Amino acid sequence: MSNDVLDAIRKRRVVREMTDEPVTQEQLEQILDAGRWAPTGGNLRQNRFVVVQDEKIKRLIYQVSPGMFQRPPAIILICSDLQLAIDHQLGEDKPTFLMDVGKAAQNMALAAHSLGLATGPVTSFSQTAVSRILNLPETYVPHMFLCLGHAAPVPQFNVRAWQRITWRDLTSYDRFPSGSGGG
Amino acid sequence: MAKKAGKRVISEDQAVELLALFVSSAQLLMSEPAHYGPLRLLTATERLSAMMLERASPETRPFLELAIERIPQMHMQMSDVEAYSAGLEELNAAIGECLVRRAGLE
Ligand SMILES: Cc1cc2nc3c(=O)[nH]c(=O)nc-3n(C[C@H](O)[C@H](O)[C@H](O)COP(=O)(O)O)c2cc1C
Repeated sequence: MSNDVLDAIRKRRVVREMTDEPVTQEQLEQILDAGRWAPTGGNLRQNRFVVVQDEKIKRLIYQVSPGMFQRPPAIILICSDLQLAIDHQLGEDKPTFLMDVGKAAQNMALAAHSLGLATGPVTSFSQTAVSRILNLPETYVPHMFLCLGHAAPVPQFNVRAWQRITWRDLTSYDRFPSGSGGG
Repeated sequence: MAKKAGKRVISEDQAVELLALFVSSAQLLMSEPAHYGPLRLLTATERLSAMMLERASPETRPFLELAIERIPQMHMQMSDVEAYSAGLEELNAAIGECLVRRAGLE
């Protein structure tokens, strides 16, 4: 079975070599809108996006991001604004916040892919240094950069998987057989 | 020899860039799997090599060129222990060669 959504899900790959070609404001807004439409736990909507295109600031981010191999024309930083958690007395390290970040990131990655753009997520960066470089409000926790640009016409380096898997390897149905549980 | 040893091959800006990489890597490694340690050291090696390339001596250049070409490939081979080890072997053979040449032993 195939359709545009399924095709995009299957064909999107992380891109680590990008060209200098800029991303247009219209493309950027479409992608941010896709992030906005991602669901959030309790519909709290605490995801915040910071777009970085300034060359000097991008360079500083690169310097404290050992996991960033791209030199992208645009970067979207996905943060959680803890102010809402504080206001609602939810606890500031609610695991759903990270799930919400993941959902927004994937929506944006797929939206970018559908527009012919490439993305690469990066979580290996110093949150402390990035908060200072971007002068983030105190309640913002930076979680993930989504590098955004055009794939360079070179073979892309992809992290080799530990093993090949299909959905079957990941899935089971109903109850596990007796004796296999921990309880 | 003395002249070679004293030659500046990176600027203060570049040195600060490396310092930023070292301390951000150290912070990340507190919560990353152990095998990310070599990865971070190799990232630093690759970035330093790129910075040095322009002003480095002919004895050092082959190592720098190898590091710039080989390390990005190795980053993607972490799950393939044999390929990763082969990359480390190659880099260490090249740095050995570089040290011997720079010391004028051969
Ligand atoms: C939560 C998360 C964090 C990631 N962090 C990084 C990172 O810091 N640097 C990087 O190069 N790739 C990062 N990746 C990309 C993964 O390595 C990549 O998705 C995986 O190798 C599969 O590649 P594919 O999406 O092209 O199939 C991250 C992915 C996820 C989901």
